[in-house]
Amino acid sequence: MARAIIDPVTRIEGHLRVECEVENGVITDAWSSGSLYRGMETVLKGRAPADAYYVSQRICGVCPISHGHASTKATEDALKVTPPDGARLVRNIIEGAETLHSHILWFYTLTALDYVDVVSALSANIADTYALAEKAGTAVADFGAIQKRLKTFVEGGQLSIFTNGYWGHPAMKLPAELNLIAVAHYLQALEIQAEAAAIIAVMGGKFPHFMTSIPGGTAWMPTEEKLDDVLFRWKTVSEFITNALIPDTLAIAPFYIEAATYGGGVKNFLSWGVFEDKSLDPLKRVMPRGAILDGKLELVQPDVAKIKEYVEHSWYSSPSGLNPAQGQTQAKFTSYDTNAQYSWIKAPRLDEKPMEAGPLSRMLVSYLAGVPEVKDLVDTTLTALGVAGKPEVLISLLGRLAARNLEAKFVADKMGEWIMELIGAVKGGDAKFFTEPTETNGQGAGLWEAPRGALGHFIDVKDGKIANYQVVSPSTWDCSPRDAAGVRGPLEEALVGTPIADIEKPLEALRIVHSFDP
Amino acid sequence: MAQGVRDGIYDLLAARGVSRRDFVKYCGSVAALLGLSEMYAPQIVSAVEAGAKLKPTVWLDMGLCTGCTESLAQVDTPDVASIVLDLLSVNYMETIMAAAGTQAEEARTKTIADGGYVLVVEGAIMTGEGGNTLRIAGKTGLEILKEAAGKADAIICVGSCAVDGGWVNAAPNPAGGKGVLDVMPELKAKTINLPTCPVNPEWIVAMVVDVLLLGKLPAMDDKNRPTLIFGSTIHDNCPRRGHFENGEFVEAFGTEAEVKQWCLYKMGCKGPQTMTNCPSVRWNRRASWCVESGSPCIGCGHVYTNWVDASAPFLSRMTDVNLPGLGGVRPETVGTVVGAAAAAGLLVHGIASAATGRTSGPPMETEKAWDKKHKASKGGDN
Amino acid sequence: MSQHAHYRAAHPLIFVFTHYVNLISMIGLAFTGFFIHYPFFVWSMGLARSIHFMLMFILIINLTARIILSFWVKDALLLGSNVVDTDIKNWLPQKENKHQFLETVKYYLFLRKEHVISGKYGSLQKTAYLATIPITYAMAYTGFALYGPAQHWALAPFFNAGTAAVGGLMAMRMIHYFGMWIIIVFTMVHAYLANIHGIAPTKIMFAWVETKPEGH
Ligand code: HEM
Ligand code: SF4
Ligand code: SF4
Repeated sequence: MARAIIDPVTRIEGHLRVECEVENGVITDAWSSGSLYRGMETVLKGRAPADAYYVSQRICGVCPISHGHASTKATEDALKVTPPDGARLVRNIIEGAETLHSHILWFYTLTALDYVDVVSALSANIADTYALAEKAGTAVADFGAIQKRLKTFVEGGQLSIFTNGYWGHPAMKLPAELNLIAVAHYLQALEIQAEAAAIIAVMGGKFPHFMTSIPGGTAWMPTEEKLDDVLFRWKTVSEFITNALIPDTLAIAPFYIEAATYGGGVKNFLSWGVFEDKSLDPLKRVMPRGAILDGKLELVQPDVAKIKEYVEHSWYSSPSGLNPAQGQTQAKFTSYDTNAQYSWIKAPRLDEKPMEAGPLSRMLVSYLAGVPEVKDLVDTTLTALGVAGKPEVLISLLGRLAARNLEAKFVADKMGEWIMELIGAVKGGDAKFFTEPTETNGQGAGLWEAPRGALGHFIDVKDGKIANYQVVSPSTWDCSPRDAAGVRGPLEEALVGTPIADIEKPLEALRIVHSFDP
Repeated sequence: MAQGVRDGIYDLLAARGVSRRDFVKYCGSVAALLGLSEMYAPQIVSAVEAGAKLKPTVWLDMGLCTGCTESLAQVDTPDVASIVLDLLSVNYMETIMAAAGTQAEEARTKTIADGGYVLVVEGAIMTGEGGNTLRIAGKTGLEILKEAAGKADAIICVGSCAVDGGWVNAAPNPAGGKGVLDVMPELKAKTINLPTCPVNPEWIVAMVVDVLLLGKLPAMDDKNRPTLIFGSTIHDNCPRRGHFENGEFVEAFGTEAEVKQWCLYKMGCKGPQTMTNCPSVRWNRRASWCVESGSPCIGCGHVYTNWVDASAPFLSRMTDVNLPGLGGVRPETVGTVVGAAAAAGLLVHGIASAATGRTSGPPMETEKAWDKKHKASKGGDN
Repeated sequence: MSQHAHYRAAHPLIFVFTHYVNLISMIGLAFTGFFIHYPFFVWSMGLARSIHFMLMFILIINLTARIILSFWVKDALLLGSNVVDTDIKNWLPQKENKHQFLETVKYYLFLRKEHVISGKYGSLQKTAYLATIPITYAMAYTGFALYGPAQHWALAPFFNAGTAAVGGLMAMRMIHYFGMWIIIVFTMVHAYLANIHGIAPTKIMFAWVETKPEGH
């Protein structure tokens, strides 16, 4: 029996430590520890509600759009203001652009290095690489030049960000040629994610941390010229998803098919729903609201009043078991002890159950809710991987990885529709984008989705000032420590049962962590 | 520079995946950003050649949102791959490095032991709860900073959090977020501060060129901000300035005035008190910037007080005045109440004076007697 | 009617003139200042700012001139007197009213029945008048700091150091803004106290019309 410790977990947003008990090459127990506390909720108290929109985005620099939107929705809910339809479209497009940006960055820049052996790409045969790319239907690049560039780089002896990577690790399974394709797309993805981010910049001023989705609507007034710019950039991103991200996923998956047998975790899934429909009804969102319990593939509706946040294993002295609408946050560090307190993350539970949040939750909920495009995408993928009609295999490490990339495809297509709709509305000339909030008192919740999962902002406004503010972010759900009853969080649970080949280099554990995109 | 030598440099760069066209463009944009003329381009070229050994770099993640790393990924020229592969050897950067855990720690400690590296700091230095509000590999963030700072050739603080704690430092600062120079003022001589939230990636490139290639720190102000970047207000370079002068203001969001790109002053724009070159460098490969998108600048580049306390409420012209027992109050309210109170006071005083017969002035005779007693030499009417 | 005589000797024409300049530029500054703070009607911001800056120069030159003049223009040190001396003596603490400060405060707080007899200016009045000098200069200083944070002129470091000391441009703006309110309140109190015992002071300061003592 030994402990494998990953601290810091790299290639994530923020700071995380993961500790695993390994027995006979398999993880038997695990602890996830959030190692940073900054106190956003306390900082926002006493400020103007619109300030929360601007500042709360800074919780996460990879998904600031979602935090901004959740905050704005909370305020709109509290102050009873309904944003006009033009603003809905603008926000959907911005949110979609962030999702694409985030998923592309996650797959190529953050996660791929767990599966792709960069050094092995040096021994790829160039002709075979082209042949393989053709066969996989994935985008070609100047593979020869890229290999040469890589060679100069490796021979220079300074490996930069690739220093000490898991090159040659026994869990690396891809052939050299596929590795080279992945490296080529790794470089290309850096360009494409920036293109997706530029869509946000055009509509929201800049990314990360955008400026326009203030409570009441949007400050951005679309013009045909700007929308052309957006459309053009969207095309570039969308083509990359269709021509590289999806075929790459399908080409890599068969080499790691055993990842469909572990890593399923708590098997409870939560989605608050994302991308507003005209009705602004959360049950009718483009990716609707819903939950799945105990791995049973049927839809139930989550009740936000049944959320409790436990702090028995977290460094807080505020009361445990509070609903976030009445939540409190009072830091109190004791010491790092996996038997007592070991995390800055609280442990939220829905009806006492730990819930997994993220693309897998959204895709499963959308699938069960019968969103036609999602059903198509999932069913064709299951067929391609030889498990037709068995969506339950998605509840695994491999499923979590695939769900994210399939979602990117779904969102890219939807974005195209929204952009065309907005262009139509602007040409029509009567599109509205802002309604001034007038109320100064109220309580509200913004239940929304970040690329990495269910996100809730809770606001209490008194006399135009924030009296209380609470956030339950996706990583709070996914990376939560144990709760009062000692039940493990989703990431902790997903780690259990994962095989570990080399306890000094627990690459497989890293894969589980990255599959949540914390 | 002789033609042959120049070709040699381009070969060298080509091997690193940088085309001649890219490179000339890059030198152009960097030179422009630094306020250097085209004449300096050859100097930059030869500096790159001299730097055939890549400069080791350690990028520390402190109390951060990762937004500044994200922002770096949005850099215009050179692209981010060229920066992390061809210009620098980024041996430690949590968000993108391949290694994790022990292997990552090794990469950092080895780079530090070897010395001669550039240190980039992102995020606030966390001092709350004995520094335990940030823990990395069993140490506090502050301990890690201390290990890394001493031997660094230069320190670049990217983003407002690293500069002065940023929003984390906003009242009441529950987690103890501070800036690098707040906790280690002794580093002032080798530190460059690049505020805004997040940092603008073009500035990082400019500083990398300045420090690594030209071998010197740029001219900086009292807060260690490079004057070429932070030497003028947004307001001075804003494309909407003409509308400001003409008194053409956006009065409400979602109106025709926004379409016409009128000035956002009345919506709370902090451009007049924010010193950055956002309007000219812009964001996300020059796609746009805050004011162009229709939102007032929120002053995220402010340095003397953390930008949130300095600029919030963001949709108002001025910050609130914190009055004991009342919390934040609008300055206009304070001013009007003080003015009205004074007026009311005088009115009451006037009425009371009239009622008590005081409006007729001092009764000279009695006063003279009183004055004499107090040794006044002269007084009153002669 | 006041028992005080208000002779021209106490208020030489030149000081009536500087008083006018001061008043007009203050009103102009307050008006344009409020407009700059929040443009409450449609008007050129450029013009408002130009007028604000121009009046600022007039105000400061006027104040400086007034101070210099006080060293050699002679006027009466006592109300109702024709005996003159250099004006600066009015500003410095006079032996006559050194002990009167608290008594005067008491009078205005209805704690003392009789007005304290004094020099030309009461001790309280004198203190208030003296305070306007640094306040006006402070307005100029803070105004310059707001105007030229990015200007590369010789005095820029002098102003920027102040901006750094108070915590940045936003803080500077607030100080400038509240400075204006201090001046407004001062002006109200000043006008009230000057005329509470009759409008003779207004007559002499605005129209240079003398009021002779009556009864004595
Ligand atoms: C004496 C020299 C003065 C100078 C150099 C000066 C200069 C300035 C400047 C540069 C501004 C800011 C303009 C801008 O934001 O673009 C300003 C604003 C203002 N000034 Fe002055 N000023 C002076 C005196 C005064 C006086 C005597 C008053 C009032 C009696 C006054 C009232 C104001 C007000 C209310 C503002 C608006 C503040 C804000 O909200 O930003 N100023 N002044
Ligand atoms: S939008 Fe802001 S920065 Fe631009 S001119 Fe108006 S006040 Fe100045
Ligand atoms: S314009 Fe203002 S808010 Fe936008 S990035 Fe620049 S300093 Fe920050």
